[in-house]
Amino acid sequence: MVDLSDRQIGAEIVAACRSGDRDAFRVVYDTYKDRVYSIALYFFHGDPAAASDVTQQIFLKLMTSMGQFRGDAEFSTWLYRLVVNACLDAARRRKSDAVVSDRSCLEAFAAPGSQEEEYSRAQMASSVRAAVSALPPKFRMAVLLRYFEDLSYEQMAKALHCSMGTVASRLSRGHRMLAERLRGLIQG
Amino acid sequence: MFTRHVSRQLAAHIDGELAPSRARQVELHAAQCAQCRAEREQVRFGMETIERLPPVEAPDAIWVSIEAALRERQSQKAWAARRWRWAFAATAVLVLLGAAYWSVAHRSDARWDVVRIDGSPTVIRAGKWIETDSASSATVKIGDIGSVEVAPNTRLRVVTARPGEHRLALARGEIRAKISAPPRLFFVETVSGTAVDLGCEYTLNTDEAGFGLLQVTKGWVSFQWQGIESLVPAGASCRIRPNVGPGIPYFDDASENMKRALGDGALNVILAEARVRDTLTLWHLLSRVEAEDRARVYDRIASLTPIPAGVSREEALKLDAETLKRLKEELAWTW
Repeated sequence: MVDLSDRQIGAEIVAACRSGDRDAFRVVYDTYKDRVYSIALYFFHGDPAAASDVTQQIFLKLMTSMGQFRGDAEFSTWLYRLVVNACLDAARRRKSDAVVSDRSCLEAFAAPGSQEEEYSRAQMASSVRAAVSALPPKFRMAVLLRYFEDLSYEQMAKALHCSMGTVASRLSRGHRMLAERLRGLIQG
Repeated sequence: MFTRHVSRQLAAHIDGELAPSRARQVELHAAQCAQCRAEREQVRFGMETIERLPPVEAPDAIWVSIEAALRERQSQKAWAARRWRWAFAATAVLVLLGAAYWSVAHRSDARWDVVRIDGSPTVIRAGKWIETDSASSATVKIGDIGSVEVAPNTRLRVVTARPGEHRLALARGEIRAKISAPPRLFFVETVSGTAVDLGCEYTLNTDEAGFGLLQVTKGWVSFQWQGIESLVPAGASCRIRPNVGPGIPYFDDASENMKRALGDGALNVILAEARVRDTLTLWHLLSRVEAEDRARVYDRIASLTPIPAGVSREEALKLDAETLKRLKEELAWTW
């Protein structure tokens, strides 16, 4: 799991946000912005414009609907529910979500090899991005949520609007799909 | 005898999310079932591979956009409140209209202020000229989007100052711009072309003839002249020169041989010295070299980093705009 921030949002910050404190909102933004942006960026196939738009929408929605947050769930769970909704809605609005096909992934893996370490690293990073892009949106979101935000399965279930069993199932299948697409490259 | 397969629970088992009794059942099953053991290894391998994705820092421009949207919403709310009152008092309407006009005309994000001065620079507000001598400097606040430090021996003019566009003309000298705004709001014109801010911090210097250097320390800058564009990311620089368009961008940590070769036009040296991140330089060279050299540049890129799916060599060599854009987007992960 990545660790982009050690800070967590306490009840007093949430209360300050609900009363319209702009500085408190900035604290929330600074705490979560990189994680939210990273999820959006990889969810939208590395498109920085789409990731920026969605990140902006998420935090605007967060600020304007903070009054609806009752504190009966953890703040991060509520935030990531907004992330899931915004990303999946935006993906549905886009003409074509899957920009990278399985075939194209395999072609990328089969690029002429080089012994240079730098080339290998670049090739691997490119291949992982392509493999993540090729996952169906619900699997892609589950995999990215698990990686970028250390949520429990219960928290992920709330964010993804599904049961914990479904979370476990999507993560199992999603990671297996990644492995199937990448195994040949890494071992070959 | 085998129990039911446990494929759906493998991730939860690896992540320690199963209840102890259920976890024990999964272990017992996996011990007897080669298929589930293999699938467990696949899940584990998938989890390891995704750790190769680096986290990415959110651009500063997002926060600026959020603040702008919040201001807009507050403005709309205020407008609605005013409209209700107007139904009761025509006089108040005139007053509020006047106030609204004043507010728009004096929006803080359109205002330029010289906020710090060292020495005795000449600041001609009416003509919007700022000029520093060898012993003076100044800092100019650009509305809400950032600031510009004006170095000694610099002559600078404010061309446009409105919310949707801030434009300076740098006649000579050096400025350091720190901008936190959505792309394409801040421009600096020089004799050799225009620096277009894409959300960044950079230093730009030029002499009166138009020879100078753009150095980017954060974000991106696009330097443009008559349809020729150089995209310069953080950590890279680009020479500017009059009448020929911007130079080829290069990373500041590129080899000295490569930097010299860029000045000399020594393509063989550039290709030989290029590292993965120097595909920044090679990508720009694709559209700047003669057709007979283009294939060598493309092939060198392909030898340094994987060519993304959907980018064909043939289309790249024809300088197909969509192909070059796609290639750039993939290469930019390493820039």
